[in-house]
Amino acid sequence: MNNILEINKVTKSYAKKKAIDEVSFSVKEGEVFGLLGPNGAGKTTLIRMINQITLPDSGDIFFFGEKLSEKHISFVGYLPEERGLYKKMKVYEVVLYLAELKGLKGIEAKQRMDYWFEKFDIKDWWNKKVEELSKGMQQKVQFITTIIHNPKLLIFDEPFSGFDPLNANLLKSEILDLRKQGATIIFSTHNMESVEEICDSMVLINSSKNVLEGKVDEIKQDFKKGEYEVITSGSEIETLLPEGVGLVRKTIDNKGLCTSVLKIPKGANAEVLSSILKQMDILSYREILPTMNEIFISTVQRGEQTKI
Amino acid sequence: MNKLWIIIKREYLSKVKKKSFFVMTLLGPVLMTLIIVLPTLLQNSAKERYHIIVVDEIEKSIIKGDTISFFKGKFRSNDDLLFEYSDNIKEAQQLLSNGLCDGVLELVNTNDNPPIKSFLFYADNEPSVEVSTYIREQTKEIFKNSLLRVDYDMTSEDIQLINDPKIDFYAKDINTGEESQTELKTIVGFVLAFVIYMFIFLFGSQVMRSVGEEKTSRIIEVLASSVKSIYLLFGKIIAVALLGLTQIFFWIILTLLLVGGVSIAEPDLFKPQEQKEIQMSQRVVNVDVVDFDTMDTSIAKEMVQSFQSINFTLVISVFVIYFILGYFLYGSMFGATGALLDNDTDNSQFTLPVTVPMIFAIICVPMIINNPTGSVAVWLSMIPFTSPVIMLVRIPFGVPVWQLILSIVILLLTIWLTIYFAAKVYRTGILMYGKNLTWKEVFKWFRK
Repeated sequence: MNNILEINKVTKSYAKKKAIDEVSFSVKEGEVFGLLGPNGAGKTTLIRMINQITLPDSGDIFFFGEKLSEKHISFVGYLPEERGLYKKMKVYEVVLYLAELKGLKGIEAKQRMDYWFEKFDIKDWWNKKVEELSKGMQQKVQFITTIIHNPKLLIFDEPFSGFDPLNANLLKSEILDLRKQGATIIFSTHNMESVEEICDSMVLINSSKNVLEGKVDEIKQDFKKGEYEVITSGSEIETLLPEGVGLVRKTIDNKGLCTSVLKIPKGANAEVLSSILKQMDILSYREILPTMNEIFISTVQRGEQTKI
Repeated sequence: MNKLWIIIKREYLSKVKKKSFFVMTLLGPVLMTLIIVLPTLLQNSAKERYHIIVVDEIEKSIIKGDTISFFKGKFRSNDDLLFEYSDNIKEAQQLLSNGLCDGVLELVNTNDNPPIKSFLFYADNEPSVEVSTYIREQTKEIFKNSLLRVDYDMTSEDIQLINDPKIDFYAKDINTGEESQTELKTIVGFVLAFVIYMFIFLFGSQVMRSVGEEKTSRIIEVLASSVKSIYLLFGKIIAVALLGLTQIFFWIILTLLLVGGVSIAEPDLFKPQEQKEIQMSQRVVNVDVVDFDTMDTSIAKEMVQSFQSINFTLVISVFVIYFILGYFLYGSMFGATGALLDNDTDNSQFTLPVTVPMIFAIICVPMIINNPTGSVAVWLSMIPFTSPVIMLVRIPFGVPVWQLILSIVILLLTIWLTIYFAAKVYRTGILMYGKNLTWKEVFKWFRK
């Protein structure tokens, strides 16, 4: 797969502070890419540079291998975290205007508006003023303005903030639909659950720097600590463990089932299992993978410690 | 360029459709018509004149042994004041307390020679400055005229010659040989300067508000990701200029229609007023009639001459040039300022430097009118931030071509620089929220 976007040693400073410091990563075509980081890490600055709202002080950004330039604007759709539309304008006028600014011709824009307004069930609002709409409605309209020109690259900055769970789900399935149709999606968020659910790859920005990047699955593998959860029928599990295997914690429920977390060195799995099976039944045995949340917190904290 | 056009179209249409634009467009001509019609209307309406009864009880004044009445029948009535005469102070005071007149002027004879008279004025209220000044002037004139007639045996023609020697004052331009008409030029200069000042402020602040709206509604982030921010700023400035021209166009058309309509409906309104002799009562001895007809023609002639002395093609083209240039200079500054403003923080220190030069210019106008070719006038018409206003004051009086060209060149260069910096400030400021900006910081953006 091609890289739709390549960020190469990009640096951007405001006044004395470096907002982005030599960050590099690439986004493959057709994937959902998570751009993660705590507040103030520089995510928005990075997104603004990808959108050509601001220019990097140094470093390059490539779009399909070409240096990012004005002609790429129409291939990108951007839903900023802070949303807003012209309040006094009619809904269709706003959508039409933003579509035209992205290079869409009037007639084509109207056809696509028809399609999306139908799909989101907001056809009745066509002729209403934006300020008459509820906040959720306005969000839907803004979402349509983001995707109406069929961008190849979609950038969502905290897309689910401001949506109720029902609409958030609708949005999620819409985003995954767009991906099926071939769009690449960059997701900026600090909501780690959604990353696990829908992201293929990710980069973690902390204090202006790229601290972690890769495929979500691989990162999880890298971060696993060799811990396993075993549910057994008997409770005297300590005595059965071979040398080098540690018991992290153990709980026994009222039915007598014992749930233990074991730290098992590489390659010792078979030995542990057979040793336990000699004495009791194993009802469940699974490896504990770290959640993205844990990875996020531990990486950010590690960064903070090295800084001190 | 295509995107710039889309932006201009939206800015223009959304503003034209606003109710406030509609109201202003309609209200402007109504106000202007009122300004034109109202004074005539007020003058023509049966305005109450101020009635004063003059009582000269001791009508015998002794000069050279003759007995004459000094003041009786000598006061000249005008549009505002009507003088009547009575011999009985009691009777006059009775009339005053019955509300049949507004004031009683009693002449008190002191037994000096020449008889220096005192005046006593009775009224319900204190007389206005205008009334008391007029009476004082009249008494002086009457006293002087009487002395001249009686002591120096002058004819009334001689006296009139002394009072109004009809000496004309003409100033001629040494280059063109034409007569200067300072009064009209002063009026034209002042009106032009004020109009340009008003429009630049009106439309400039509209640019600022419009920029601020996009910032606070946060739509700017989406816009900036679709077009270069400089297009956004200039789309706005051009759209507001077009909007202003539309509004001025409608104002002129509607005002002409309204004034035309009024003058058809009330044709008498604009005719020169005829003075009617008013017989008030038997007590009226004399009401002077000023010969308005001859006065009107001479004023009209003078007006035509004055108008001819101004090169209107030049004045209008200079007005248009400075209006457009001044608007672009201030419009881009106002636009940049709008990007610095923020609802959450108080960044209002940035609006002041934009407005101060213009206010300074308009304050200087009276001074410039007094001496339109002085060095202060020349300097202020070169400095780009005051030149749109000051040059307009000077232009009816005639400005050397080299000064005009130099001033426009300086203005153009400044606009170019201002636009360059305004775009930088706009680009950075428009995406900055919740920050108390300082001048130091903004200057840093200049260098980027």
